[in-house]
Parts: sequence; C-alpha cells; structure tokens
Amino acid sequence: MQLFPCPFCGPRPETEFHYNGEAGNIRPDGAQVSAECWAGYLYERSNPKGAAREIWVHATCQEFFVMERDTVTHQLAATQTPGFAEHAE
Amino acid sequence: MRDLAQKWTAMPDWHEAVIAVPGLTVRTRSGLEQYLVSGDLVAWSEVSGLADRGVGAFGTAEDDRYTVRLGRDRLLAVSTAPFDIATGWHEEGFGVTATSAGLHVFEIEGPAGAELISRATPVDPGAASASASLVFGGVGVIAYHHQGTLRLHVERGLATYLWTWLKTAARQPALSGQG
Repeated sequence: MQLFPCPFCGPRPETEFHYNGEAGNIRPDGAQVSAECWAGYLYERSNPKGAAREIWVHATCQEFFVMERDTVTHQLAATQTPGFAEHAE
Repeated sequence: MRDLAQKWTAMPDWHEAVIAVPGLTVRTRSGLEQYLVSGDLVAWSEVSGLADRGVGAFGTAEDDRYTVRLGRDRLLAVSTAPFDIATGWHEEGFGVTATSAGLHVFEIEGPAGAELISRATPVDPGAASASASLVFGGVGVIAYHHQGTLRLHVERGLATYLWTWLKTAARQPALSGQG
C-alpha cells in the first residue's frame, strides 16, 4: 500500500484519500460564459503522462491539497495546502 | 413479508459486552460527554480553557477533560462531566455541537494492543500525526491513548461492525496467545 503525505497529518495510507480533480481547472465565472468554455471546464482533461498536479482530499481530516506526482511511476514529488508549508518528499 | 432485520448482526448489550483474550481486553466506555468544535480553535481555547491543538493519532490524553485534534479547524472535546459552554455558534469564531449520542467509544487494554493496531491500520503509532482521525479496521475512527488504554470513537451506526472486526482480530493466533 502506498503512503501519501497529508500536509496536515503526515504519511497516511492511500485508502484514506480521494482524488478531487486536476489542479488549475478553474470554474468559469460570469453570465457570458460560452458553452465551449463550460464544456472545457466539465469534460476536457489534460491526462498527462508523467508529472501531474492534482487536487486530493484526505477524507479523515478533510484537508484539501495539491499533490504533485508522476502518473507513470506513482512517485510523489510534493503535497501542499495553499497558504501552508509544503510537504516535500 | 421478509424480515430484513435478520440481515444485520444483532447489536450487543454494550454494558455487558467484553472481548477478553490473553493480552487484550475490549469494552465500551460509556458516560463520556463529547463535543465537536469547528472554526477558530485558538478562540475556543481561550473561552474553554482547553487545548486548541489536542492529541493526534495514538497520542496520549491524561485528564478527565481533554481535546483530540481531528482537522486543521476541527477538534473533539471529551469530558466525564458536561461542559459549561453553550452549543451552537459563538461570536468569537467557533461552533460547538454536542455529539455524545453520535459517537460510540471503545476502550482497549493490554500488551497485545500494538498487534491489534498493526492489523487495523498502516499508520505508524510511534510517529506523530496531527489528526487522530484515521481508518481503523476499515472504518473511520478517532484513535488515541488515555490513561493506559487505547480509546476508539466511532460513529454509533458502525459500532457493531467494528465490534465484530475486533472480535475477529482478537481470535487471530498472534493476538489470542495461541501463536
């Protein structure tokens, strides 16, 4: 079992975490947003091979954070909660 | 009509139920007052006089009134007597919710407790971890030590499942003294 470093709790088993989406996928705002823009937000993913930045949530402590990891090797680079110190591997 | 109640394991009589094998005893700890506190935990500490950080996973609480950290802005306050602090929102910036009826508490004693923990979770009990909230035996619990026992707070609806899991784990050779 892989251990993920929660920025608040430290190393915890992967089963305590949920994937929450691609980092940087910002929800469109305003009344003039086009259908194409909404479709991009809802359906289009970059699906990178290699280094990726993702939003994860540690379900037990409810910490939402950014995880940088490699989608091929599963190696973790860092986890960070915006506004708090980075937890580097 | 089918009796669907038969699909569920009967709930034990918590006042009498005990798991006892060599090196391990598990029973219910009743009568604890429990409050969830959310928001500005420093403000909570100033008003209540209790710690804003609280014990983390497998940390040690000593007194009859203490706090257990659940998240960056949430903790569980535990006491053997009711708190003299009102439930609901406080203008200082935190909310208090009575949850004594929502969380069942098990107390685990004995030298085989460490073996039980290793079966229940990969979390290292010797490493500091800020939150006492973790997955234990497949369900979310709040786990810490109190006066020589391991205390587990679990949602009341999952208590019977966790009790069954504990009974099954206690029968394993390494825990039951047969290994």
